[in-house]
Amino acid sequence: MGGSSNTINPWPFLLPALLLCILFFLIPTVNMVILSLTTENGIGLDNFKLFFSTPHLTQALHRSITLAISATIMGSVVAWPLAYFIVFCVNKKWRPLFLLAILAPFWTSFTIRAFSWQLVLSDNGVIAWFIELITGMSVTLGILYTMNASIFGLALFCSMLTTFTLYGALVSIDTKLIEAASNLGAKPFNIFKDIIFPLGLPGWIAGIFLSFIVCVGDYAVPTLLGGGLKPVLAQIMLSILKGTYDLSQAATIAIILAMTVIMCGLPLIIYGMLRRKRVSV
Amino acid sequence: MNGLIVNKFMLLILTAFFCLSLIVIYLPILVMIVFSFNSGKYQTLPFREPTFEWYVSLIADNSFINSFFTSLMMASLASIFATILGFLAAYAFSKAKVPAHALLFGIVVCPLVIPMILIGIGMRLQIVSIGIEPALWLVLLGQTLYVLPLAVINLKNRIDKIPKSMEEAAISLGSTRIKSIILILAPICAPSIFATLLLTFTFSFDEFVIAYFLTNFEVTLPIRIWTSLVTGFEPKINAVGTAVFIFSLTLGLIAQFILLFKQTDLDKNKA
Repeated sequence: MGGSSNTINPWPFLLPALLLCILFFLIPTVNMVILSLTTENGIGLDNFKLFFSTPHLTQALHRSITLAISATIMGSVVAWPLAYFIVFCVNKKWRPLFLLAILAPFWTSFTIRAFSWQLVLSDNGVIAWFIELITGMSVTLGILYTMNASIFGLALFCSMLTTFTLYGALVSIDTKLIEAASNLGAKPFNIFKDIIFPLGLPGWIAGIFLSFIVCVGDYAVPTLLGGGLKPVLAQIMLSILKGTYDLSQAATIAIILAMTVIMCGLPLIIYGMLRRKRVSV
Repeated sequence: MNGLIVNKFMLLILTAFFCLSLIVIYLPILVMIVFSFNSGKYQTLPFREPTFEWYVSLIADNSFINSFFTSLMMASLASIFATILGFLAAYAFSKAKVPAHALLFGIVVCPLVIPMILIGIGMRLQIVSIGIEPALWLVLLGQTLYVLPLAVINLKNRIDKIPKSMEEAAISLGSTRIKSIILILAPICAPSIFATLLLTFTFSFDEFVIAYFLTNFEVTLPIRIWTSLVTGFEPKINAVGTAVFIFSLTLGLIAQFILLFKQTDLDKNKA
């Protein structure tokens, strides 16, 4: 359309942000890859071989993945009834308020939230006290400092996150579609199966993806609720950098964690790309 | 419309589930707040006598107060930097022809889809490799990077909705590009800019890993809290938690309010 005065030169606007990303994100990432491949005898995969032949580390990787997958699945299942309720059962005017009620604790410190669950779950915490009050027997819960406590803590976070992304997808569904289907005799279940679920899917999957990323890299919930005896990879990374300071090992673990995210995220990314193609066709 | 897809029975179940979820979400926080007023060294029920002891000892504890001010400064600067850089980048992505648009946009928002611990560890290894001492200014830049995607995405959503013609009108009437951005675009985006500032502030204020990895001796509030939690119980941690909860919640809610309700306002205008 316009002459030269109308075209905007993007670089002055883009460069500061881009520079920050290159200096503090891209270069460190490349550096990390190089570090993980550097061994005493030059370039090689020795660090990775060492990682996979150390039971202590492979177990931690296994725990990280189990924890992230369990929490993500639980959170994503809970998100459906919550988002569904807010979008389809609440007056339009009040929807944001109901969403805020679910999201509010989300805005406070991750660490503080994990800690507050200690007060509830511990052997002399609120639940144990409540059971004792009702039954008159003192019980040892044995929940705190277990894998299950970690899964629970992270699942709670995932459900909030996925509710948020799913809400965004559900709220933008054109209500005329639903009315039309209903006028033509569709049953509630079929409306859900054929309209609401497919249209909510992108938001749901985005939530699942983000949940997994947060869970697999989290150290706070596994430390405060899961305890330090059976660490996940993120906890080991934290202790390496503040303890033994084996930098190439830290880099190797970081790369393995990144690969895990990419591998678990790949099906979702491919799905997203296929979907986009289908929509554009 | 609602009656079409949810019958009475379903409505009852969904409402019950929603209420139950609220209880689960808020129970631990309420317990923490209650305990912060509970006297006695051990945090067990039943509730003893109400006390302000923990809040008093919190205010008297310099290590907490200092770390709070460090965090306050870091988060303020990081949110201002990220909002400025984010606004400029969002403007370029929205209104200019950017070469390799998808790639560059991907690079800028990538830190959002990477576990934060990887970003932190990458920076730490980098500064060790080139021999820079860990320091607060590195934390500041690292946290700016961490919250930048939020700023770019938020502000791009807003700028996308503003027709280019507004600016073009100003320019054809003799204004410069910079002037039209400052005098026309920025004021229109003011609510979004304010929300972005708050949002990036809360995220940066709570950020732990980057700060933990990029400093040796300076302590931000999340680091101070973390140390207290992993090295042994201090009863005043309930008071700290309550204070942090209320502080972050207020800021986060204001930001969320602006973003959610402004959205509906816009839709209303469109209709």
